[in-house]
Amino acid sequence: MDSLYLLVPIALVFCAITIKLLLWAINNGQYDDMDKEAWRILADEETPSESEQPSSRPGPP
Amino acid sequence: MATSSLMISATASKIDANSQAATEACYHCGSPIPPGIELSLYIDGRERAMCCPGCRAVAQLICNKGLDQFYQQRTTYNEKPEEDHAGNVDDYRIYDDDEVLQTFSEVDTTGARVAYFLLGGISCAACTWLIERSLTRLPGVISANVNLQHSKLSVRYQPKHISVSEIFAEVNALGYRARPFQQRAQREQLAQDSRSELRRLGVAGLGMMQVGMFAIALHAGDIQGIESSHQGLLRWVSLLVASFVVIYASRPFFISAWRHLIRRTLVMDLPVSLAIGMAWLASIWATVTGSGQVYFDSVVMFTFFLLLGRFLERRARHLQDANWWQAQDALPDAVSVQREDSWVAIPRMQVNVGDRILVPAGATVPIDACVTAGESAVREDAFNGEYQPRTVVEGDTVFAGTINVENSLQARVVCTYRDSRLAELQRSVDRGQAQKPALARLADRVASWFIAAILLISIATWLVWHQLAPEQAFWIMLSVLVISCPCALALATPAALASAAGALRRNGIIIRSEDALESLSRSKHLIFDKTGTLTSAELVIDSVVTLDTFSEQQVLEIAAALQAHSRHPVSGAFNNLRMAKGMDQVSYHVGAGLQGELSGQTYRIGSESFCRTIALSLPYAPSTELYWVALCRVEKPLAWIGLRDRVRPEATSTVQQAMADGFCVELLTGDSSNNGALMAQELGLSHYACGLRPEQKMTHVETLQESGLVVTMVGDGLNDAPVLSLADVSFAVAGAADLASAQADFVLLRDDLNLICVAYKKARQCRRVMLQNISWALGYNICAIPLAAMGFVPPWLAAVGMSASSLLVVLNSLRLSRVSAETQWRPGHG
Repeated sequence: MDSLYLLVPIALVFCAITIKLLLWAINNGQYDDMDKEAWRILADEETPSESEQPSSRPGPP
Repeated sequence: MATSSLMISATASKIDANSQAATEACYHCGSPIPPGIELSLYIDGRERAMCCPGCRAVAQLICNKGLDQFYQQRTTYNEKPEEDHAGNVDDYRIYDDDEVLQTFSEVDTTGARVAYFLLGGISCAACTWLIERSLTRLPGVISANVNLQHSKLSVRYQPKHISVSEIFAEVNALGYRARPFQQRAQREQLAQDSRSELRRLGVAGLGMMQVGMFAIALHAGDIQGIESSHQGLLRWVSLLVASFVVIYASRPFFISAWRHLIRRTLVMDLPVSLAIGMAWLASIWATVTGSGQVYFDSVVMFTFFLLLGRFLERRARHLQDANWWQAQDALPDAVSVQREDSWVAIPRMQVNVGDRILVPAGATVPIDACVTAGESAVREDAFNGEYQPRTVVEGDTVFAGTINVENSLQARVVCTYRDSRLAELQRSVDRGQAQKPALARLADRVASWFIAAILLISIATWLVWHQLAPEQAFWIMLSVLVISCPCALALATPAALASAAGALRRNGIIIRSEDALESLSRSKHLIFDKTGTLTSAELVIDSVVTLDTFSEQQVLEIAAALQAHSRHPVSGAFNNLRMAKGMDQVSYHVGAGLQGELSGQTYRIGSESFCRTIALSLPYAPSTELYWVALCRVEKPLAWIGLRDRVRPEATSTVQQAMADGFCVELLTGDSSNNGALMAQELGLSHYACGLRPEQKMTHVETLQESGLVVTMVGDGLNDAPVLSLADVSFAVAGAADLASAQADFVLLRDDLNLICVAYKKARQCRRVMLQNISWALGYNICAIPLAAMGFVPPWLAAVGMSASSLLVVLNSLRLSRVSAETQWRPGHG
């Protein structure tokens, strides 16, 4: 069980790195607008422009 | 998608389109389609009805850009664009001025310029997508980023390739209102606050996982035995992580508790700080001396859950935070000033006292000024809520924020913005905010006697055990303190509030203030503003009294043909009517009416005296209380046309519902005509007051508050902003002035007054859930404390019990997030 003396500090180092990363991301503004980003990953990408894909949509009646 | 095309219904199919349109709301802004409007646009496979040319222009622009999937993605309707809205670059040239540009932009290291804008009219994430997409397509724009939470847009662009005025024009053409964002300091502060809150939450979460891991090992060790050296190690590392969390993440609790304590108020943060602080210190003691129990996991978990609850609640509230709308945002930024012999447009901030300015017809007066040439009428609803314009001639003073309706005016600036009447209004708003009475929150009231109780019990426990077994006394007292840790109690209110705010948001109501729901549930006095709130701000034709052989239809056609040449609010009632053909030589007489020629005959429409000058036999206006307009020909009175405010269709049902809910409903209006009294009668209101200035409204609300009432105010205009900021609870209706919305606790996104009742119902429900939560949390503590006092509760059981009770509170709160099917609202999915 003496490995604990090595493993526990390693776990702490990982924890410190994760906290550091998180703080960096927050300070970098990556979490400033969570509503928009949450919505954006679900939104469809831009539809191809007309020249690339002629639309088959029927015109107005 | 790009094939969407404009189609105005052909005359032949009008009836069909009409009957369909009557039941339909505008696809773009959601307002009902006025009769007689036949506009539509082909979007997303169907003909979509539009309520006005403005909406259609915006929708068409969106479609032409191939961005019409926006309509499927959005979750709220768009704001109705302003009548004369146009993406005309020249209107924004003023912002290209270096001095002005400096105030809201900066140059970054690469030589690109970053400009900041405050956006009006953005309501959902899809709007941000639309704006970002269309801006990044402009040549010269490097990046565009909209922050939805703060209604803020930042654009990086190459000044060589594009000017800031083009960016303004683009955003405005899309139907949003962009303004330079100048209050940088305030914005930075807000961004900093929300970031530090998130940092604390993240640190507490990660710390909780670490300490939790060690705690499992320690608890397992308690049960199956553990070497004391290993136990020591695990305790020391837990101490390390937990101390970091307590010092870094729990700080706000300690600070808030201390601040309130020195002001002799007890808030929920005090028992929270006590629990965290005591358990942490005791655990440190136990670790250092190698005795007793450690509670590091409870400390950290408690911190995390509390931060999470508060974070979620604030997030639900802070959606669309727009507190920085100021009264002066209603003013135009460009002002035409006389320099030598010509008029030049200069930024408003460069206008000096004594300058001669030009106010075109239809424009907002930029600064308080004295008229030197021209005569016109100004709408002063910003100050008195009255939509009937005041006639001004040479020598009269016009005020910043009022709208020049008729003709262009030349005026001499008489004071700086700081001394203007509008600035005074802004000061009233600030004063109202400061004077708003603070309500003792439910959680804080519970907290005050809870603290007393646990402190007494802890001391009693220690005294008793000191007699029985002195060596255990300290540890048992500590376990009492830890078990009484008010985690569930502290979560009881934020969890319920967050959940209710989410549900209201889906109904189309945004909550902007912390205490709004609680105050609303206790409010029994509901005050409505009239113009724009109970009525839509326009006049409608109520009745026509013909005085000659002309039919009603003929009279209206002639009237409409004349009124088409006027900007006076009265003319709005005649829009969309069929007009008599061939009206010409129409001339406008300020404060009187209009005159025109039709097939060789001179017609006049307007005030009684104006018409009587050519038709002496004009009888007096009918005695019915309406706004009467006369129509006549030379020597031949034709008709009296009676106009009145258009009451919102749902106003009656809302008022009745509110009365049924036990509200005392009152009407306060700045309108000094007897329309207010009429409306009160019509709606069955016994309390009303007319002709009130904003300060008088404030005094009235203050008097009510002093008598102990919790006052709810519903309003819309600039003139309502001060009283909205003062009232305990305030609602801004859809389409309210930005300043009013910024002051309101609730903002209605939908044009429906019934939402007020929905909000009230939710507030009552929320209060019930909060009470349930609090009684459960207290009940749990009351049962557990005696057990702990008798020394029966091991720490792991205390931890489990605490988590379970918190979970129950959260689950109970989630019941509030249900939205009943009938009030659920999702536009744009037809």
